[in-house]
Amino acid sequence: MSKFTGVWAIFEYLDETTDTIEQVREQGVQPTVITPCPRHEIDHALGNPISSVPWIALAFGALGCFIGFSLPAWTASDWVLPVSGKPIVAIPPFTIIGFELTILFTAIHTLAGLAVLAIIDSFRFPIPNAAKKYPRFQRDRFGVVVRCDVTKIEEFEAIMKKNGAEEVHIEKE
Amino acid sequence: MGTSAEYDATAGRVIIDEHKGHPGIKATTLSYGQINDEMLAMLDKPRPSYYLLLLGFLMALGLGALSLAIQIDVGIGYSGISHPIAWGFYITNFVFWIGIGHAGTLISAVFYLTRAPWRTAIYRSAEAMTVFAVLTAGLFPLLHTGRPWLAFWLIPYPNERMLWVNFKSPLVWDVFAVTTYMSVSIMFFMLGLIPDLAILRDEAVRKGNKLKAKIYAPLALAWHGTNHQWMHYMRGYLIFAAIATPLVFSVHSIVSWDFAMSSVPGWHTTIFAPYFVAGAIFSGLSMVLTVLIPMRAVFGLQDYITNHVIQSVSKMIIFTSIIVGYAYATEFFIGYYSGSPFERAIFYYRPFGEMQSWTLLGDSRINFPQIAFWLMVFCNVIAPIPLWRWKIRNNPLAVWIIAALVNVGMWFERFNIVGSSLQHEYDPASWGEYWPTIVEVGITVGSFGFFFTLFALFAKSLPPMAIMELKEATIPPMKNAAKGH
Repeated sequence: MSKFTGVWAIFEYLDETTDTIEQVREQGVQPTVITPCPRHEIDHALGNPISSVPWIALAFGALGCFIGFSLPAWTASDWVLPVSGKPIVAIPPFTIIGFELTILFTAIHTLAGLAVLAIIDSFRFPIPNAAKKYPRFQRDRFGVVVRCDVTKIEEFEAIMKKNGAEEVHIEKE
Repeated sequence: MGTSAEYDATAGRVIIDEHKGHPGIKATTLSYGQINDEMLAMLDKPRPSYYLLLLGFLMALGLGALSLAIQIDVGIGYSGISHPIAWGFYITNFVFWIGIGHAGTLISAVFYLTRAPWRTAIYRSAEAMTVFAVLTAGLFPLLHTGRPWLAFWLIPYPNERMLWVNFKSPLVWDVFAVTTYMSVSIMFFMLGLIPDLAILRDEAVRKGNKLKAKIYAPLALAWHGTNHQWMHYMRGYLIFAAIATPLVFSVHSIVSWDFAMSSVPGWHTTIFAPYFVAGAIFSGLSMVLTVLIPMRAVFGLQDYITNHVIQSVSKMIIFTSIIVGYAYATEFFIGYYSGSPFERAIFYYRPFGEMQSWTLLGDSRINFPQIAFWLMVFCNVIAPIPLWRWKIRNNPLAVWIIAALVNVGMWFERFNIVGSSLQHEYDPASWGEYWPTIVEVGITVGSFGFFFTLFALFAKSLPPMAIMELKEATIPPMKNAAKGH
């Protein structure tokens, strides 16, 4: 059961989509856009939003680096293997483990981080089920979804129609 | 010439107008719907020739599995590996297959960061090759241990013996490097697949194929292509590319240190890391062409994998061939210049065999390392020379033959490094000779069967080209074409 109030439309052309996004944003509403592939034009029209995935990657990369150095240092101290008077805790060989674990932790948490952020955003910026199930968004169509009060629906519907939407759908909870 | 693009004197570089398409890649002028249809057509019911090919790969895989079973059952003594040659075909295969994987990461990560437009059509297949090659490579060190069921001892975990792995050993570095590389490659590959799996899901819905829709729906991880999903996805993809780039260079460097950290003549050299990395990219790119040129012909993908794409990969092959050839020459020069009789001896032994006198005649008896050496020189240094000519680079059959030769040459290069130095170390009393046994040959053939079986299954079950990226590279649908951003 859709708990969505607003309007969503299907567009064939990219420029019509970006025009719609800009005009919707001028009304003080941030739309959600569905596209078959990423386009910089869409990002620009949406005001270049920024993802926080890099901060997750940085934090867990640093953790991986710390573990990569501290695990060999601790294990070397726990079971001492003296070889020709060489240092027990030797930084150069441990750098390799540090490097590899930095990469591994960054990769795993980037993947997990982007998945979690995408899930959170799906709750923050819901789209109607009908839009989710529309099969041509993954093929060759662009979608613009506007969440708004019932009173504003007509206004956004008019913007979408004016910009050449193929279909406009109104959803009321 | 095959391609030309407008040169912008103010910017000082060639500008490719994305609203006109790439001049060398016809697919950049196709519509989104066309790309979808043509890519999905590749996943239709295969022709009988596909099953025939798959049967051949499965037979090779079966031979490998049988040999593997014999090897594990009888023990490592059944191989030709014995004192003083402890590293033979298995380690050669390990180094070779890890190298094959490098091209995929290079194409998917390094050329993504450098925005090379020709990578789009081939990166998915190359990335799949990385995953399959690393899976293949990973089998060999485990097998080489002789008791693969105890391979978990390589992992640092608390145990009742209170022992830890030795983090100062290059072999432990290798465990970390290869497992990290395998994990990151698989994650990178799966990440790239998510939007395409959503395409497969929705196309199945559109065409009323309920079974396919049910299979692809959970795999697509609720992907809808919203701007929020794309924002996190693209940022994550960029991070993956950024971390995979140093990773790809580190992995084969670390593999090379398995050799270079020893004091064995012919191995103990600082040139090994860049030499191995260049060789890995060289062999990997050749494998990409060896597989993709026939695939292009079978599926009719000339609009996607254009001659421009083949030429671009060929240029990288020329570049890495020069580095590899230079490394061979440097090894010989340093062998001479070091003044070390052991270094000089090994670099005499590799091309000419036993040193009976200070003439270039050497031993009249041919050893395996001599065969490996001359095949290596011919296939890796001489065979790629014709690629300097545009006409050759523009001929897919000629490029395929050269790429296949490079694959052969790179396998023998790995063997030349692994096998020859151990046969002739310091003390002549402990010199030896190595010839592989039938199980080693069987497992080697099986490794090719394993790799190609996985690739053949992949090519028919998942989109072998990144549909989403092909769309990104093509001209977007604009009502007012003059309007761009």
